[in-house]
Amino acid sequence: MLRRTFLGLLGAASVGAVMGKTVQAAGLKHFQGHTGSNGVLFDATRCIGCRSCEAACNQVNGLPAPAQPFNDLSVLDLKRRTNAAAYTVVNRYDNLPGVAGPIFRKNQCQHCLEPACASACFVAAFAKTPQGAVTYDPSVCVGCRYCMIACPFEIPAYEYNEPLTPRVMKCTMCYPQIMSGRLTVPGCVGACPTEALVYGQRTDLIRIARERFAAFPNRYLNHIYGEREMGGTNWLYISGVPFRHIGLREDLGVTPAPEFTSGALAAVPIIAVVWPVLLTGIYAVQNRKEKIAAEEKKQAVAEALAKAQAAAKAELDKALTKAETDKKSAIEREVKKALEEAAKAQTEAEGKTEEGE
Amino acid sequence: MKKTRPMLRWAGFMVVCAIIAFYGVQAWGEKGLTATPGRPDQITINTLADFDRLEMPPVTYFHDKHTDALAKENKGCDTCHYVEDNAFSFAYLRRRDTRPEEIKNIYHSSCIGCHNDMIAAGKQSGPQDGFCRSCHNAEPPVNLARLDAGMDKVLHFRHLDSKNIAPAGKDMNNCSACHHQFDEAGQRLVYVKGQENSCRYCHLDQAQDGAISLQQASHQQCLNCHLTLARKGVDKPMPLSCRECHGAAAQMELAKKNKGIVAGLKGQEIPRLQRGQPDATLVMYNPQKAPGKSDKLVTMPPVPFNHAAHEKYNDSCRVCHHAAMDSCSSCHTLGGATEGGFVTFEQAMHRRTSQQSCIGCHAATQQARADCAGCHNSISQAQTPDLASCQQCHTPITGVVSSPQQKAAMAASLLENRRAAGTFPMNDIPDKVVIKGLSDQYKPVEMKHRKHVLDLMKGMENSHLAAHFHADPGTMCQGCHHNSPASKTPPACVSCHPKTQGVAAGAMEPSRPGLQAAYHGQCMSCHRDMGVKPAATSCNECHQPKQQKAALVR
Repeated sequence: MLRRTFLGLLGAASVGAVMGKTVQAAGLKHFQGHTGSNGVLFDATRCIGCRSCEAACNQVNGLPAPAQPFNDLSVLDLKRRTNAAAYTVVNRYDNLPGVAGPIFRKNQCQHCLEPACASACFVAAFAKTPQGAVTYDPSVCVGCRYCMIACPFEIPAYEYNEPLTPRVMKCTMCYPQIMSGRLTVPGCVGACPTEALVYGQRTDLIRIARERFAAFPNRYLNHIYGEREMGGTNWLYISGVPFRHIGLREDLGVTPAPEFTSGALAAVPIIAVVWPVLLTGIYAVQNRKEKIAAEEKKQAVAEALAKAQAAAKAELDKALTKAETDKKSAIEREVKKALEEAAKAQTEAEGKTEEGE
Repeated sequence: MKKTRPMLRWAGFMVVCAIIAFYGVQAWGEKGLTATPGRPDQITINTLADFDRLEMPPVTYFHDKHTDALAKENKGCDTCHYVEDNAFSFAYLRRRDTRPEEIKNIYHSSCIGCHNDMIAAGKQSGPQDGFCRSCHNAEPPVNLARLDAGMDKVLHFRHLDSKNIAPAGKDMNNCSACHHQFDEAGQRLVYVKGQENSCRYCHLDQAQDGAISLQQASHQQCLNCHLTLARKGVDKPMPLSCRECHGAAAQMELAKKNKGIVAGLKGQEIPRLQRGQPDATLVMYNPQKAPGKSDKLVTMPPVPFNHAAHEKYNDSCRVCHHAAMDSCSSCHTLGGATEGGFVTFEQAMHRRTSQQSCIGCHAATQQARADCAGCHNSISQAQTPDLASCQQCHTPITGVVSSPQQKAAMAASLLENRRAAGTFPMNDIPDKVVIKGLSDQYKPVEMKHRKHVLDLMKGMENSHLAAHFHADPGTMCQGCHHNSPASKTPPACVSCHPKTQGVAAGAMEPSRPGLQAAYHGQCMSCHRDMGVKPAATSCNECHQPKQQKAALVR
């Protein structure tokens, strides 16, 4: 194939792929969460860092006992992350500008409206339940840990100490306990002595947060973290200090994680279905063209050959005819000559005889 | 193998470059971040910027450094500043700004000339010819740490009381030495007794309407007076250098000294300023001032206002009279007007976010005083105040009051009738309240109820504000027993606060904390805001452990 032709076809194919992507992206709607889904509102102005939530979480989820007991508040001296044995951790933030004492913040799965972990999981081990929780099914998990890399809040943890059946571990918002009726609110919420955690419908939590802003405008920043961040989360935060000061990322934007990859992933079916057809077609067309050209060439060659052969034959015939004529005339000439010679000889013999007689 | 080696070498080189760049950038950034100690005397000389675009960056100049250096040489301010009519011109070696070339020449020849002379004499000095960037430095070597200087009540009193300040004329007091206003007819500054204003009403941040800027005005007036007195040999501590007014150390020193001076005064109080202001008045919208409607305009009943007492509470008249020493209604009209920034009379008195409004200032006091903050920080600001709240200030009057004298007399009589803070008889106040909500895990909490009441009442003793607003016996109780009518027997907490914990009630329900959170929220936030013991974070001081293994402590 000519280089130029190839590039032209490649361009056409790319346009086709891009068109497909655009259509897909426009087709995505802004998802605002399942109607009536539940969440938790965390109020940083109320949290006293008592770790009751951690203890309750450990208890209701049957997690292994920690090295230091839950009433040992010295563990707050270090910043901690969630791990396979702790679905939730409270961190203390000291010496914040404009604040007299420390501020505490509980960390756990934010239960995104459109979870990054679920979009990264190729076996669909994660599910966003209509009740609000993001749940995990260990029976299908292949242990790739893409979820851990995908999560912008660095929440899912892995049971590295489990050689045979390691699981990804993270807060379930006590989904199994609540669905089975063992609990009415998540373990941490029920244990919080200051109601720094409130469980309820996400829409109600947003309303409560706004009510608190209106009632105490000097106490709060007028922002609900998680209302829009990463497309919205079911776990919401309100605070009197900037959220970056209590370990919450402010650079995440409002786009849900799956939207970042949906364009590229939507192009996959286009490429998988359209490209083979397109390219085969192009190949067939190109093939046919070449075939026709070859046939035409063959024909032309044949014609030329025939023509040349004819000409050659004519020449030959002519030469043959000429040769025949020449031969004939030569024979005639020779015959005539022989006859003349014979006549001459006869005449000479007759003379001799006459002489001899 | 031979082929890969140059690649490896290049890769190594790139890595080294990247590391150098990374750490270089970090080091550079940190250099910018480290706080260099600031100086209050840093002046940026950019006079030529008024004429044209600058060819070189402005000059960073340290004034006190030069004053100190000249003092060592026994040279005074007149080395650099001309004296005219016993006052210094604060422009460098000139009386006024003329042409840019001339000004540039003055700076270059005189600054560098002096530096040259000093160095020729074998002394340490500043940059010489050719060291352009030593003075014209785009980035000043240290931070500017210049604090605003100004008069407060005590400093004002010290000036008023001073024997060294010369009044402007015969039979005049010290006020005339500084306070002035512009006389349009005579085109001069005159002193009018009883019309003293704040400097800042006319002298704004920038020169405006013929008045020089506040900076210029205060230097011309304050600093020149100090320098004159110093020349006369007055032996009193007067700030003469930049750091003595604008430096943090000097301001702390001054505050300490002022405190001592107040302590030495009769009654430990600054004498009241006399400007013809009333002791008390009625804050009301004068119906005559309402355009078009003479006497039929009905407004809220007037508020008796103790002007004399509020003078004591505040540091200067400017706190309330923020733009002019007039009555509030002269700018803040009933419907809002341009001169009042369209802030209506009602808003000027009630706007919570303004420090100049009655409610704004009272609310700020509630937050600032620990005695108040305990209860008041927990009171929602979203509620519309009830009628009783309005009636705390707005007092119906009978009869006609129009003249200032009538108003003052009426206000004084109303203020006299105001009651002190009060509560129920001691016997009616429960001594102890036992809270058993968490008695499955801890011993019941014994709350010393009567002690709480007495302590809170004690906190109000020295506050007229608190006394007036807590006169009804049930009011103080409402700090804790809130959202129900004031009563000797308020409903139990559990009447409103459910025992369910952490549940967001539905959209139609009011969102209120559960019982446990209500207790913790109320007790702990109050203890925190009032700074009282037990500290809000020590669980065991209220909840004594019942047994070794409580349910949640594993």
